[in-house]
Amino acid sequence: MHLYVYFQFITLITGNTYEHSHLAPRSLKEIMSRFQVEELHLTLTEGQWRHKQWGYPVMDAAPGAELYAWFSPTVTDVNDNWKKLSATLSGLFCASLNFIDAHNTISPKMALTPLGAMNIGLNYTSQFARYASLPREIVCTENLTPWKKLLPCESSHGFASLLNSRLIHNTNYHSIGVHIRKVCSNNECTNYNFEVKQTVALVYDFKIINSMNWSFKLLFGQGLFGGCPLSSSSKIYIDVTSNDTLPFKLSPKPISIIQSQRGGSDTLLAVYVIKADSPMINIGAKHSIDNKFSVTIPPPLHFNRYVLGYGKEFGGIVTEITNNYWAPIDIVLLENAPWWLPIQLSTLRINGEAESSLILKQYYSPGRSRQRPYHLELLMRLPPKSTTTVTIDFEFVFLKWQEYPPDANHGFYIGSALISAKLPTAKNYTSIPIDGTTLESVINASKPWYPAVFRTNGAMVSLPTPDFSMPYNVICLACTVVALAFGPLHNICTKELVLKPSGTSLSLRQRIINLFKKKKD
Amino acid sequence: MALVLKYVVAVLVRYWLIHSDYWQTLANRVEIATPLNSWKRLIEGIYLFEHNIDPYDGDSFHESPLLLISFYSLLKYAPYLLPGVFTLIDILTAYFLYKTAKIFVRILKRNQENNIEVISDESKAMILTNLQLEEVPEYVLSVYLFNPYSVLNCVGMTTTVVQNLLLAVSLWGSVAGHRLVACIFIALATHQALYPITLIVPISILLADVNKGCKKCSYIRTLLVFILCWGFLIFISAYIMNGSYSYIYNTYGFILTVPDLKPNIGLFWYFFTEMFEHFRLLFVCAFQINALILYVVPLTLRFKNEPILLATVLIALSTIFRSYPCVGDVGFYLALLPMWKHLFTFMQQKFIAGCAFIITSVLGPTVWHLWIYSGSANANFFFGVTLSFATAQIFLITDLMFAYLKREFTLKHGSSRQVDGKPAKLVLR
Repeated sequence: MHLYVYFQFITLITGNTYEHSHLAPRSLKEIMSRFQVEELHLTLTEGQWRHKQWGYPVMDAAPGAELYAWFSPTVTDVNDNWKKLSATLSGLFCASLNFIDAHNTISPKMALTPLGAMNIGLNYTSQFARYASLPREIVCTENLTPWKKLLPCESSHGFASLLNSRLIHNTNYHSIGVHIRKVCSNNECTNYNFEVKQTVALVYDFKIINSMNWSFKLLFGQGLFGGCPLSSSSKIYIDVTSNDTLPFKLSPKPISIIQSQRGGSDTLLAVYVIKADSPMINIGAKHSIDNKFSVTIPPPLHFNRYVLGYGKEFGGIVTEITNNYWAPIDIVLLENAPWWLPIQLSTLRINGEAESSLILKQYYSPGRSRQRPYHLELLMRLPPKSTTTVTIDFEFVFLKWQEYPPDANHGFYIGSALISAKLPTAKNYTSIPIDGTTLESVINASKPWYPAVFRTNGAMVSLPTPDFSMPYNVICLACTVVALAFGPLHNICTKELVLKPSGTSLSLRQRIINLFKKKKD
Repeated sequence: MALVLKYVVAVLVRYWLIHSDYWQTLANRVEIATPLNSWKRLIEGIYLFEHNIDPYDGDSFHESPLLLISFYSLLKYAPYLLPGVFTLIDILTAYFLYKTAKIFVRILKRNQENNIEVISDESKAMILTNLQLEEVPEYVLSVYLFNPYSVLNCVGMTTTVVQNLLLAVSLWGSVAGHRLVACIFIALATHQALYPITLIVPISILLADVNKGCKKCSYIRTLLVFILCWGFLIFISAYIMNGSYSYIYNTYGFILTVPDLKPNIGLFWYFFTEMFEHFRLLFVCAFQINALILYVVPLTLRFKNEPILLATVLIALSTIFRSYPCVGDVGFYLALLPMWKHLFTFMQQKFIAGCAFIITSVLGPTVWHLWIYSGSANANFFFGVTLSFATAQIFLITDLMFAYLKREFTLKHGSSRQVDGKPAKLVLR
């Protein structure tokens, strides 16, 4: 049993000038215009979202750091802008985003689509999109502090004052993110505004907080002292649907309870409206029965990923995707293997078959050592009520000794695969619709299908290591062997055989006497 | 009859191993398959080619486009023939080596008759008899067919099997005096693996010797034909790859710059794993010069009268020092050694080298398993084994050359090692 807490701060930048910005962070606006970025998504995540047990998050994020962006079609050298963008963000968020380079960047073809307003008729998905993830990145206070500084009230007022790094970094899963997109400012979409969305997702384990009764004080160490005075709206929504099966009481009482019907699933939301001058509020829930276990019903689409094989020579990556729904679901699976994990396309097997009818479209860009990752995208139609297993083999690479990170035997992280799905049902689906901004837009937002991009769990492999302590020895020994050939060959080629009188061998005594005799002479 | 029996047994051994459960393991062994020649890479390359993805775009395939296209059509139209094709290629290699050895024996006999007057009386007993000479081709054949290195290479279905056939045919072509055959096949071999380019020197000497006449014209003609053939092959390959020359970066470039440091039986992998980055280029150049051109000129000047010995030594040296050697290359030059059976009595280190071959061949897979699978050893163990294997090969080859020099000396000056009645030693000066 877990508790999911999601914060979302939206700042709208109106107008195209960034010289005067009193609410929006000028630094972000400058980055957007300087590198001609149309849309930007950055998340820093610690922990692994468990889709099967927890359902779907509002915004999924890969473990570690993840950055993807769309550039304006006027950009001539996208790779250069991308490099500069990641380096700038690296400084802004104190994260190692400067390690993003051509060797871990891909241009997704099908899996990612822009969420903001884009010019019609341009193929944004391939040329101008860049995606990179750094699964090894560790998220800490140093990333949260600059993130908080981007907010209009920083951390002094409003919801952000709850984000006490001592407590939120103790959660099972925490993810901070910045998402910038273009939104139309009028119905004809002749003009646009930038929308800066800053998110925090936290997952608390009831076992760890040692009680199913939660309150702001327990989760954040303090109550909430009113909203940010600069904000136009501050609302708290609490999903109280589970009240039927697992009764609990909210205190203080919510202002209203809204019923939302979306794609065949009913959700009850308790709403609190927070004003800037509201008194301190400590929202909490008290369960009538403590520590009761409930059976979780897995969401319509869930997945698992793991590494096969033993030894450090050959292995395989398996991605298992389960469709629980009664209709087929179309997904795009994006496998992004780093260059030191060369996957072999000829070993791709879907449910053990080489040529599977489940694949509708396939894209593959082979990697190159130290230059480019391996990038595979599969558009698949998952049959109803089935589990599809995608297997691909790889070979372990032997790196140069200076390419191993510190603590080489810790292992190497493989980034998550992306699964982009068109969900036919909104069960467990909490994402904000593409035309919405705040969480209010989720209510009764039924659509024919629901787009979602998920990240599978990452994995880890242990690459074979050389002996780091002996570069000199190896260089000397190998050169000695070369010299062993060079010496005799040099002799053979430059000298000739002759007979040399060799006399009878002298005894040691005789030799010593000879030595003295020589001295006398 | 005995010959046919040998072929049959060799085919059966290969057929059995390819169809045994051990095939997968053998085809993946580091000693047998390198990133350059492995069956797995070939399959990956063909798969990409079939799906309209340029196999030279990424890092998965490093063979020549000619091989790609031939195996692509083979795999498409007759995949069931593949084990048979590999066995056939290996048997053909053995056959051509046998033919080469037969002509070589004739050349050796003729040279011996020509030089009969310079042989000292004492050494008349050392003159090779017909009986001794006639068994040489048989030995060459047996060694190629049954030495475990070439058997394993064939069973692993590596592209080195093809490489060996190309080398064998070009050797046969040159001893038989067929200039075009020799040049085409050595160009094919060079196109595939680059290192055989050194063999053009002994081949042109051989062709000039065999086809009597103007020697210089012969050298120039051979070189010209070779360069034309090689250029044509490079062009044809680009034509196959839709006019793109990017494959050169992935074949020759891959061989020369050694980007993949997967262990093999050579010297490069650990050396360049542990290399300091700013010395890398220097040492890559030094090692490639050592493998490619360093020994060609001096050895040619020394052994210009013995082009076949020169060819043997150059093949062996390039095998030891090339960037991605495999046991198939070792097996090939070992099969050439019985041609020099008459030198064996003059070799001093054959016991040491033989023991080292056996010990390292057993120890290599053992320490590999300890390092990679059980994690109880580290890279140094395998490096040590490959170092001693290279040392053993170097001892063998240098010893062979010393033996040749000693035999020549003995033939000229007699076998008694005396100067003015006093005992003397043979030394290099």
